[in-house]
Amino acid sequence: MSKKLRWRILLIAFVLVGIATGYVATGYANARRDREAQGLAGRPTFEEALRKGVKLGLDLRGGIHLVLQVNTADALKAERDDAAERLQSQARAAGVTIGPMDLPTPQSFAVTVTPQTDERRLDETVKRYLPDWTYGTGGGKWTFALADASRRQIADNAVAQAVETIRNRVDEFGVSEPLIARQGTDRILVQLPGIDDPKRVKDLIKNTAFLELKLVVEGPSPDRAALAAKHAGNPQVEIVESKVEIGQRESTWYAVQTAAAITGRDLRNARPTQGQFSNNHVSFFLNAGGASKFSDVTGKNIGKQLAIILDDRVQSAPTIESKIEAEGQITGSFTPEEANDLALVLRAGALPAGLTYLEERTVGPSLGLDSIRKGLTASLVGAVLVFIAVVLYYRLAGLNAVLALVLNAIMLLGAMALFNATLTLPGIAGFILTIGMAVDSNVLIFERIREELRSGRAPKTAIENGFSKAFATIIDTHLTVIISAVFLFQFGTGPVKGFAVTLILGLLISVFTAVFVSHTIFELAYGRRQHIDALSI
Amino acid sequence: MELFRVTNFDFLKYKWYAIAASWLLIAVGAFAIFVQKGLKFGIDFAGGTQIALRFASTPDLDRLRDILRAANLGETGIQRYEDPSKNQVLIRVQQQRLEGRDMTGEILQRVRQGLGGVQDPAKIDINTEGAETLAARLGAADPEGVAGQPGTTPDAHYKAVAEKVIARRSQAGIFRSVADVDAVADVSTAVKGWLKANTFTGSFVLLSAENVGPQVGADLRKKALLAVIWSIAGMLAYIAIRFRSLPFGIGAVVALIHDTLITVGILAILGREFNLVVVAALLTLVGYSVNDTVVVYDRVRENQRSPKKEPLEAVINRSINQTLSRTVLTAGATLLVCIALYLLGGEVLNTFALTLIIGIFIGTYSSIYVAAAIVVIWLSWTGRRKLAAVPVAPARPAAPAAPAAPAGKKKKSGRR
Repeated sequence: MSKKLRWRILLIAFVLVGIATGYVATGYANARRDREAQGLAGRPTFEEALRKGVKLGLDLRGGIHLVLQVNTADALKAERDDAAERLQSQARAAGVTIGPMDLPTPQSFAVTVTPQTDERRLDETVKRYLPDWTYGTGGGKWTFALADASRRQIADNAVAQAVETIRNRVDEFGVSEPLIARQGTDRILVQLPGIDDPKRVKDLIKNTAFLELKLVVEGPSPDRAALAAKHAGNPQVEIVESKVEIGQRESTWYAVQTAAAITGRDLRNARPTQGQFSNNHVSFFLNAGGASKFSDVTGKNIGKQLAIILDDRVQSAPTIESKIEAEGQITGSFTPEEANDLALVLRAGALPAGLTYLEERTVGPSLGLDSIRKGLTASLVGAVLVFIAVVLYYRLAGLNAVLALVLNAIMLLGAMALFNATLTLPGIAGFILTIGMAVDSNVLIFERIREELRSGRAPKTAIENGFSKAFATIIDTHLTVIISAVFLFQFGTGPVKGFAVTLILGLLISVFTAVFVSHTIFELAYGRRQHIDALSI
Repeated sequence: MELFRVTNFDFLKYKWYAIAASWLLIAVGAFAIFVQKGLKFGIDFAGGTQIALRFASTPDLDRLRDILRAANLGETGIQRYEDPSKNQVLIRVQQQRLEGRDMTGEILQRVRQGLGGVQDPAKIDINTEGAETLAARLGAADPEGVAGQPGTTPDAHYKAVAEKVIARRSQAGIFRSVADVDAVADVSTAVKGWLKANTFTGSFVLLSAENVGPQVGADLRKKALLAVIWSIAGMLAYIAIRFRSLPFGIGAVVALIHDTLITVGILAILGREFNLVVVAALLTLVGYSVNDTVVVYDRVRENQRSPKKEPLEAVINRSINQTLSRTVLTAGATLLVCIALYLLGGEVLNTFALTLIIGIFIGTYSSIYVAAAIVVIWLSWTGRRKLAAVPVAPARPAAPAAPAAPAGKKKKSGRR
């Protein structure tokens, strides 16, 4: 065996061992992470590691894919409300008299200036306490709007905080390998593999879970209009609808104080509890600041009703019987899952803004299983047919091609594990194109060798010429497709990207197996002999 | 075994007929797309909701149609899906103007209510609930009494149990009655007893649900198109530089566009849906087609280096003949795989495989009659007098360059 050949074999062995080790190591890491997420004890087995080397995409494995839009307008509106309130209280503190306020658009507010208003001092107050706001005067009013930079900042923060909140909730739910990522300016991508409860997950994520405790002024009443008319003009009172219970047709209404005694921000913990008749409640526990506020409010208002409002719906309005310090309970007709999830969402924190589902895909576990099983059978049958055809056509050289193809497939799986790529259906398309081009490379080489033999070259020369002449073609075809795949990767979205990744990896490997490995096998078979009469090709 | 020993077909003699045939195919496809049926965009691109369900027994489509009509969800399509013996149904609802409405949940609830599935609100449906809900219920009831036992928690313990139950459901397709839980392996009789007492079997299992809003659909369309345009530009640049000739690059790219247009046209005629899977198939086809074209080009380049003076058309003809047995063999091998996928791969891979089967024929044909023909026609128009002296022959520095490819005049040596 020549020295050159020995180096070649060593290099091939090195690459194979490296890729195999990488695959198994990734498999173990994935299996361990899955076990941790599922709360299983023990170490993963070798078989488990082999199965989990390459991550399967949601379309093959089953799971939920969601694209959500954060309604950043909500956050801007909240900021507006906050600023209007701040101006009112600071103006009062500074002794500036101002007229009534109104809200011309969702993102602006206006203050009426009266003849008594000291405009210079009002301007000072604005500059000092509302630095992010600009105002225009006209029509006896000052109209305030957020500066563009702050508007962007607030919208950006709202999306970032929504990502964080969703991540907390998903983590508490216990999903293995969740993907929660920001997309563009105001979108969030959520991928939860292996989850088959779309309704529950969607509720869990979308639940804004904004908890407020407000003192009831009047209610419950079935007549919204009457209640509203009675309290019209009092900015300290608002009308809130109660949650419609099962079996109850009409909704009822409460007039409550606008300012919340306690909000979700004052919570320390929440957990589902069971009541007297084994109905499900959620108990919440306040942090130190919340507890002192709460004991103050409840102490002063014994005998009054306190409305527990979740996402703008009154859940219940119990009467305050004594001073309460740090603990409360949300009652309602919850199922065990609902109670559990509500507690989870309260613990994980409220969303800063509402969410809209733009895209939602659920693949049930059985469909995923079915796709894999069928795809696998079909691919295996196809592969065996190709192997038979190639061996019939090229005889022993065909066996060489089969070996190169099998190596190519194995190495591609290994490389995907190493790069932590996910195998999806479009990925399988890339896989098939790779195998097709790998077959083609071998065919190109063998046809060249046959041509050389036909033109009367000696077998050894024919092999050398065949490989070197086919090499340029193989490089050209592979590079052309790789270049196109790189652009697809750069500009494509999810599925197109998946196709591109598999293709790029596969073609790089295909060059290696078709040119380098096949050549080495030829050398091994024929290189040692001094004289060859005929090639089996 | 050999398919072709040495052939000498005059392929390019028929180039004008072939070009006419290509235009005819494109026109028929365009007619199908724009005039006749229109291209059926799947919900990936058009937006909307699509739900696949598997029923325990033969589904009553008329009843389902009535239920959904009563729900007032807009235009709804219901059809059987895959093998009839599987009792599968595909429900499609057109894009709603109201973005963000939970269409999937609403449709499922309507169907469940309409079929009278819910008997006892305290019981859960083991055909539609997922492993998480089942685990939560089992954990709360704790039929095996594992709470307080060392080494495990009810949560972790019952999660594993619930997953086994769901895995059995996936394997069987659907639970026909609660007695079917007896078939779940490795689960205690206590759990099975609890399941029989506290669950019921709804009439269907959810296979998949997709809901795509109009914004996302439009976005996906735009981005997929943009990616394809860039990748075609990349190929054009590479081929034009590598073969030192613009006509070669243009020829390859026109062949790709030709293949894609015709394939999409045939899919439209066959009434197949245009979705992301078809896009993946078209990308594969583009890769295949360009591979085929480059093989022919490469042989042309090599043959041009030979000192024998002959017209370009003869050079290209000879190159096509020399690569013919490779072309047929590779196309045949790839076809074998695609036919296996078409017949055995199931619903999802079916359209994918069909697109590729069409594409392989068109792609192989276009390498000869589009990519090579364009090079011949272009160069014979621009450089009529010096046909043999195409600028892609770096081995012969004396060869004067045709005006079509000024790049050939510059770097001529040192390439290999």
